[in-house]
Amino acid sequence: MATISFRSLMLFSAVLRLFLIIYGEWQDIHMEVRYTDVDYFVFSDAASLVALGKSPYKRSTYRYSPLIAFLLIPNALIHRTWGKILFSVSDLLVGYFIRTILKLRGVPENLCTYSVMLWLLNPFTFTIGTRGNCEPIVCAMVLWIIICLMNGNLLHAAFWYGLVVHLRIYPIIYAFPIILTLDQSRFQSGKKPILTDWSSSKIQSTNGSGSIKVSDPCHIWVSLKSLFTRGRLLFGLISAAVFFFCTGFFFYLYAWEFLHEALLYHLTRTDPRHNFSIYFYHIYLHYEHEFALSEKLISFLPQVTVQLVLIWRFAQDLPFCFFLQTLAFVAFNKVITAQYFVWFFCLLPLVLPWTNMKLKWEGWACILFWIGAQSHWLMWGYLLEFNGKNVFMQLWMASLLFLAANTYVMVTFILRHTSSPVFKRLEHGHSNIPTKID
Amino acid sequence: MGIQQFKLQVSLRLGIALYFFASISRCKHASTINEVGSCTSNLDDSNPSSSALHGVNEFITEAYFEKHASLIDSDFQGFLSKEIPLEFCEVLQDKLEPVPKLSISHRHLIGEGSHRRLSSSIRLEIQPGSKFTLPAHFCDAILVEILPSGVFADPFELQHLLQRGVFTGAAVFGDTNLELPSVRSNRSIVEIHMDIGSNVLSGNNNGLEINIEVPLHARYAPLGEHEFSRVEFSPPDLFTRCSFEGKSHKQSCIFLSTNKSLELKAGAVVWDVPCGIKEHTGIVSVVTFFSAIVSALLIVFTAFHYSDTTGCNNLKQM
Repeated sequence: MATISFRSLMLFSAVLRLFLIIYGEWQDIHMEVRYTDVDYFVFSDAASLVALGKSPYKRSTYRYSPLIAFLLIPNALIHRTWGKILFSVSDLLVGYFIRTILKLRGVPENLCTYSVMLWLLNPFTFTIGTRGNCEPIVCAMVLWIIICLMNGNLLHAAFWYGLVVHLRIYPIIYAFPIILTLDQSRFQSGKKPILTDWSSSKIQSTNGSGSIKVSDPCHIWVSLKSLFTRGRLLFGLISAAVFFFCTGFFFYLYAWEFLHEALLYHLTRTDPRHNFSIYFYHIYLHYEHEFALSEKLISFLPQVTVQLVLIWRFAQDLPFCFFLQTLAFVAFNKVITAQYFVWFFCLLPLVLPWTNMKLKWEGWACILFWIGAQSHWLMWGYLLEFNGKNVFMQLWMASLLFLAANTYVMVTFILRHTSSPVFKRLEHGHSNIPTKID
Repeated sequence: MGIQQFKLQVSLRLGIALYFFASISRCKHASTINEVGSCTSNLDDSNPSSSALHGVNEFITEAYFEKHASLIDSDFQGFLSKEIPLEFCEVLQDKLEPVPKLSISHRHLIGEGSHRRLSSSIRLEIQPGSKFTLPAHFCDAILVEILPSGVFADPFELQHLLQRGVFTGAAVFGDTNLELPSVRSNRSIVEIHMDIGSNVLSGNNNGLEINIEVPLHARYAPLGEHEFSRVEFSPPDLFTRCSFEGKSHKQSCIFLSTNKSLELKAGAVVWDVPCGIKEHTGIVSVVTFFSAIVSALLIVFTAFHYSDTTGCNNLKQM
């Protein structure tokens, strides 16, 4: 089968996004239903306020870091499509970074291209940026952090990690796996780490290890004991410094309004309105009174437990760990909106080369179950919101089905994954860990 | 006595206001006000008449919230009847006979679901044979809707309509939070200005009918025993403001407001909003947490089981 070159793929993707941006402008002017996401107008209004020297939080529902508004100041000064172009470029950058990461690990060219196509030609992802959603920037930053770590650029990785957590709080869930990855037996500050090649991990797979290979639990225990290594301390200090600097700077500019809207709102957010989360109806039914502490803890427990176990088992296989963590984080969150899916969509191409899942029929089962459950929810959501039917119970049951689909996808990926630690163990003499040939 | 009868005309209450329009527009920002269209950058200093109507919009409701912290029906009605600036229109005093008649002929909700449009058909009847000639003027219809609890207007949506030229002015006052459910929100007022043309009071036509559609959205209703929560709309307050070509910076205007008793003819507009059912609370909570725990355990078990199996294999290899 003829394969498309990466350059052609990028060119086509860029042209497609440019076309959609132009089309979006036309639709916004000529049709009542606008192509542009309502969030984009929020960003643009906030950017206009910043350009006038005012607080972006004067724009109601602006609940992001002021950095987004700063980035979009050219919307007010040059052209309103500046932000869309910026987000679409980030979107293309994600594709480029996916290929970079896979190439660093020796993934064959055709497999790289197919993986990148999964992002660049996914209708969900190419509409996200062109409609004016800022998630591609966050995705690009997360992938860049992985690249920095793979290249041994600890300081860069720490800087961008602090920045991305400031921008979007959810990447905080990556803190532990990154810290665990930086153990001295595999990663030493100032030296380029040795990456596990794709072909070596696949050979091990065909040699009959069969199911998933994960990091030796004993190794993890030793790593935890030697938690405070130079690399880990550096990473923690620099990323924390960047995060607190940004937070402190914007607090100085915008005071409590910034803190509440950009940070605290997201930490305490409970939205009673219908969304994909299984908790929405429970929250709505209890909205007239405060939740008991026990109720809050119970809803928090599944999320925390899954995160800790995934980190514990898969930290060394960093992209896979990130993927599972993000998918679990979204699935168990109290609020789920469609834009959150992009957070793990950008990581999916990084794990596909290591899966033993065949498209027929396990792959198709995951795709159809996930899309089917989502479509099923959307149908009930449409009946509620646009037809005015009282289908709260049915909609809530659809959200349970969606959780089941997410769980099924996670379980299948775990069962079919060939775990491959990103970094090889260093030779004996460079660490105190007994050498194990990977 | 004739003046007394005039005052008692069933469909009208004459308000006469004298506007002093500044030549330079100003933006107003108040904590309870979310205005769209009150400030424009296209003011034409050389043509104060056009800027008076299509540039700076003074909102009736804004004046209420400058004096009152919250919306109380009796206070607002008292404000409308007594506190709207009434000054003589030097051009028009005693000249407008017989008076124009303003009424709402039809009012209903368009659409289904949580996003609908409240449509009000307004008829302005001008009696033929008016005995005077008015100077050239431009008129706006002003619709003031006190929205019931459970319904809100999106200021940004109104701004979009303003940019498309559907309205000449639009503002939302009161609680403009778009996200809160009914139990956590307060009521709001939406004021819409719509151009009804020029020289409409000259009596050259028999009147006109305009239709104003205000996009509205339902908040999440309070929990109930039944499937729907009913929201009822009270009749709006309706004014006509006309700006006359006046001397220097002064503009003379007329308010014509409809008597609310007329609106009862149109029938109350009601909106049945789906609401959560209280008796679902127990089962929903139990099943929600049970599902979350089961899903979490499945993932945890899968991660542990397969890693344990592989861990044994690794140890054997060592």
